[in-house]
Amino acid sequence: MEELIPMNLLRAGQSAEVSQIQGPIEHVHRLEEFGLCRGAMIQMFRPGNPCIVRMAGNKFCLRSDDLLQILVRRNGHALERG
Amino acid sequence: MSTPTQTSTITVALTGNPNTGKSTLFSDLVGVHQQVGNYPGVTVEKKTGRMEYGGRRYRVVDLPGIYSLAPRSPDEMVTVDVLLGHTPAVDPIDVVVCIADACNLKRNLYLVSQVLELGLPTVLALNMIDVADDEGIAIDVDRLASQLGIPVVATQANRGRGVDRLKEALSAVAPAAFETETPFPGPFEHEVVRLQSLLAERGIGTSRGQPISRFLVRRLLLDVNGYLQKTLLGDDAELLETLREARDRLAVAECGVPGVEIRVRYAWIGRVLDGVVQTPAEYRTTLTDRVDRVLTHRFWGLALFALVMVVVFQAVFSWAEPLMGAIDGAFQSLGAWIEATMAEGALRSLLVDGVVGGVGGVLVFLPQILILFLFIGVLEDCGYMARAAYLMDRAMVRVGLSGKSFIPLLASCACAVPGIMAARVIENERDRLTTILVAPLMTCSARLPVYALLIAAFIPARTYFGVFGLQGLTLIALYAVGMLAAVTAALVLKRTLLRGQAPPFVMELPRYKWPSPRIVVMRVFERASVFLRTAGTIILAVSILVWAALYYPRDTQSVEALPEIQRLRAELASLPADDPRYEQAEAELDRELSGAYQRQSFLGRAGRWVEPVFRPLGWDWRISCAVIASFPAREVVVATLGVIFDLGEGVDAESEEGASRFRATLERATWGETDRKLFNVPVALSLMVFFALCAQCAATLAVIRRETNSWRWPAFTFAYMTTLAYLAALATYQTGMWIRG
Repeated sequence: MEELIPMNLLRAGQSAEVSQIQGPIEHVHRLEEFGLCRGAMIQMFRPGNPCIVRMAGNKFCLRSDDLLQILVRRNGHALERG
Repeated sequence: MSTPTQTSTITVALTGNPNTGKSTLFSDLVGVHQQVGNYPGVTVEKKTGRMEYGGRRYRVVDLPGIYSLAPRSPDEMVTVDVLLGHTPAVDPIDVVVCIADACNLKRNLYLVSQVLELGLPTVLALNMIDVADDEGIAIDVDRLASQLGIPVVATQANRGRGVDRLKEALSAVAPAAFETETPFPGPFEHEVVRLQSLLAERGIGTSRGQPISRFLVRRLLLDVNGYLQKTLLGDDAELLETLREARDRLAVAECGVPGVEIRVRYAWIGRVLDGVVQTPAEYRTTLTDRVDRVLTHRFWGLALFALVMVVVFQAVFSWAEPLMGAIDGAFQSLGAWIEATMAEGALRSLLVDGVVGGVGGVLVFLPQILILFLFIGVLEDCGYMARAAYLMDRAMVRVGLSGKSFIPLLASCACAVPGIMAARVIENERDRLTTILVAPLMTCSARLPVYALLIAAFIPARTYFGVFGLQGLTLIALYAVGMLAAVTAALVLKRTLLRGQAPPFVMELPRYKWPSPRIVVMRVFERASVFLRTAGTIILAVSILVWAALYYPRDTQSVEALPEIQRLRAELASLPADDPRYEQAEAELDRELSGAYQRQSFLGRAGRWVEPVFRPLGWDWRISCAVIASFPAREVVVATLGVIFDLGEGVDAESEEGASRFRATLERATWGETDRKLFNVPVALSLMVFFALCAQCAATLAVIRRETNSWRWPAFTFAYMTTLAYLAALATYQTGMWIRG
């Protein structure tokens, strides 16, 4: 099983599964409403800060800071759609 | 919930995630019968429209695009209030239309699951069905409808496909008894009921005294430290304790908030989507992805963005020029016609100088404003705006804002009005307010004539190294002053008044699409009419006020008694009417008369009165008077300076001749009765710095008032900018004189 790494360490093209989001409850909830929750499959499109990530067919950019950390587990799965 | 009779209007709420084509669908439903207003007390715009179908009338309310019904601010609470029928601004909702992106059903259904809790008849519009087809996504609409329990209509809003079927579904959906099962487990609902009765017992209601519905109680439990908790329970320690205990019990029962909502809703979504969606096994790179490889590239993306911005600005200034000239010309002709046809007197002066002059002076900027609205609209509709925000985010974070503030601030370099209106897209309220408050500091095009004139008049035309002209550098320095001030102000505001924890910056990058001309034009039209309605009245009022202050009291006796006037009258009388010098002498007398009347007007006297305040800036009362007169609109200062220094108001600053006459006149001016020259480089600089930083635009303040829906913020903007301008001009003049002497 792959280890947990922060999402912003992913390189372009690498896909992963979201495992945990650490941060203030309200902010985590907001991200989860957006679809970024445990089990979500993502693929890094453009790393950096902010980074651009693909998830289930749509792209979004996300700026992380000291307060917010998204931990993911790398996998080789093709990205899900819909 | 009322049962609509055959004759009453059915109220439909339109909701959905952002970027799902909601505005397009709204336009499909209501056509041109739409209007924009305000919800009281918040900055969210109220968009409504009407439509007719099957002999019934419908009112459609376009709610803002949201990802979830969990309210986090008064603005977000408006959507909840409208859906619950708690706001007098909108009739109680009879039907809800949820619009979803067919390519992204999973996330879109999150909001749908919350909407279904409201117990209102709901229809799902599955939009962008064509894109789903292109990407190989197959959706079994009938199965979805049966598993969801509500009608589902596949639509393609940009082509109007499926809209008739949607209208049909709207009309057919039964108004009565729309029950829906709650997805939440037993222990959770148990706490909800308990809390609801407790709140009812304690008499806690909404701000309008209505009892708290189950929907709101659920939100209260789920949204930890949320907006509802703060407004409904406030500081009530006992209630807060009860809430905490309820949440603790839920945590023990494996229903910990807010996590339970995510789990439960996504589980529900999984059940609903079972067997509904078929996606291709491999992810297919889309055209959007290929384009984004370039447009979000660290180097090429930025380079292309810079290019786009240059093109937009070029277009704004070059397309606007001829139109501005035309409007200016039209207003001049109108003024001249009135002057020719009416008898001399206060009314004629009011119409020509006050109304036509004042209003015309601002309307002349309308082409620029419209073209900016157009470009901003196109960039937003095609999807590029989000990429621009992404590219600029890193830079904007350094000043405490986000990438979304960049375009509004850049647009303010042409005119703050469209810039401030463009700040609407910034969801974070503190960021939006900060952007709006510092936008007027960006050097707008109305300041340019003032700069051009003063620089040409007083900055020596020296060149360094054959390339760096001192005049050009001064202009650049003035731009820099504006930007530096904006950056500093933003940082200060974010640290003091508008301090607060920023929510995570998550921004969707929508699919690229061809901008729809219909939507863009409608949006430009809407923004323009908002501007004219908002700014128009204020500009008219202020123009008349300033005119009155410059015209009254019309003390003919004392003006005619002035020695200079008497001398010129005698000279004129001595010349025969056909003498070639007659016209010149007459013109000189006219100019002297205008100057004399203005000098003894209320504003002129006010200038004398406040002279001590402005003397440290190097200004005498005449300059002070001109500056005060230009508070409604900056460009006025050129004409006012002209009149007050007896140059006449037709100061043609554009032409070489006009500029040199202006310069010659100003250079001759002296302090009071002394020989000391009034104008020098430090004075010119202090005047320009003052203009760079001062809020001298009634239109901008009017738009700020509208966008923030309060008088507090335009007043604050006026106060802080004027103070900043005064101090900076003071420092400039004193430093300049110190360097000289």
